[in-house]
Amino acid sequence: MAAAGGVRSRLHNFLEGADIGGGRRLVITGCKTSLKKLVVENAVIVFGRRGCCMCHVVNRLLLGLGVNPAVCEVDEEKEEAVLNELSIVNGGGIQFPAVFVGGKLFGGLDRVMSTHITGELVPILKEAGALWL
Amino acid sequence: MDFPSTQFVSSRTMGTYEPIHQIGMWGENFKSISNPNISASVIVDVANKLENESETTSHEMLASTSKHDQEASKPFDKIQRRLAQNREAARKSRLRKKAYVQQLEISRLKLIQLEQELERSRQQGLYVGGGLDTGHLGISGAVNSGIAAFEMGYERWMEEQNKQICELRSALNAQISDIELRILVESGMSHYFELFRMKSSVAKADVFYVMSGKWKTSAERFFSWIGGFRPSELLKVLVPQIDPLTDQQILDVFNLKQSCQQAEDALSQGMEKLRETVSATLASDQMGQGIYVPQVAMAMEKLEALVRFVNQADHLRQQTLQQMSYILTTRQAARGLLALGEYIQRLQALSTLCANHPREPA
Repeated sequence: MAAAGGVRSRLHNFLEGADIGGGRRLVITGCKTSLKKLVVENAVIVFGRRGCCMCHVVNRLLLGLGVNPAVCEVDEEKEEAVLNELSIVNGGGIQFPAVFVGGKLFGGLDRVMSTHITGELVPILKEAGALWL
Repeated sequence: MDFPSTQFVSSRTMGTYEPIHQIGMWGENFKSISNPNISASVIVDVANKLENESETTSHEMLASTSKHDQEASKPFDKIQRRLAQNREAARKSRLRKKAYVQQLEISRLKLIQLEQELERSRQQGLYVGGGLDTGHLGISGAVNSGIAAFEMGYERWMEEQNKQICELRSALNAQISDIELRILVESGMSHYFELFRMKSSVAKADVFYVMSGKWKTSAERFFSWIGGFRPSELLKVLVPQIDPLTDQQILDVFNLKQSCQQAEDALSQGMEKLRETVSATLASDQMGQGIYVPQVAMAMEKLEALVRFVNQADHLRQQTLQQMSYILTTRQAARGLLALGEYIQRLQALSTLCANHPREPA
């Protein structure tokens, strides 16, 4: 597993993250990547298809709230495998984009939007340690 | 589109693939595209190239298998090799399917354009219908009927809307009970949700129709954002009309306004990214090849995301209305709905006025 986090400069990360709408881009290398580990180690992680605009929307929204989500862009070929593994981790069905908060599946764009409007999202993010203040 | 999609579903869910069978199937399908204008050589080349690659791979596999047999038989390695072979075959199959679908879309494009040309000639009396029956709608027919159904539905919706606004107005002027007022508020909200459902339905048929707001008056279109009003703008219209608010309500409304703004910004940026993606796809290499190229089909695939944007925008509108109804009292909500309804009516009146305003000759 390769995490794009610690080794690069913040500026590099920021520039690279720009086209995914923000956040830290993670790369899945090989079949040995433990998605479960990624989910557990990151307060907020977003899984989505490469180049997906809905994923971009989720990331922009989270970034606007002050969250720095980990973003996992999945190639079309690996899509099925990733979806399957995430379903196992979650114990149920998954669709892209999939947002995990505090190690558990939070939902898709629909849920992020609704909870944001009702004001429930920010407290949940704070509780998971994704937001301070 | 009439092609055996079920075959692909079943082979994806099965654990094993049969590479040779897949290649044969694709080869036949490619040859059956009989449109002479498509460069058939391109299609056959792609199919041949993929066939050759796959054959080479299986030869290599066989060679290395026998070598391993000589050394030591490792069943785990054999399984791994088989899995890798399957993945490779599946990947190639997916690529072939994609190329096939793109060629189909191009054929559809040509067919639609031909039908439209035919219809134009017929209307001009240049062509008297040959083998086609005069009631033939063509491929565009289904989309047009979806739009026609929506427009009829919207006309009814607007009539009902105006009726409800009148009812609200008289209810607020008379002193009816909160319970009765609550019923009016609930039906007002449901009425809006009904419109979102209708829009979602027609967006599947023609997303640009919803995006363009053709079904609305010109002044309404002027304020259009992803097929409708900006929730934050609606709040700006509503809030002054429902004074006085408690301190808690003021805070809640402020937070709601801010959340709407943030959600709208995120969606707008997503839309911008979609535009960039579609533009880049349409313009990608192979310029000078005319218009019947895979790029157009690929861009269409990307544009399917637009339907999701329209749905998300309406979802946002619905959530905002819902949240407002939680924050406000029944009476405030009723005044809010009335204000919203009248605002839209004034916009429509504005459109009529602008359209019929006498202008000085330039």
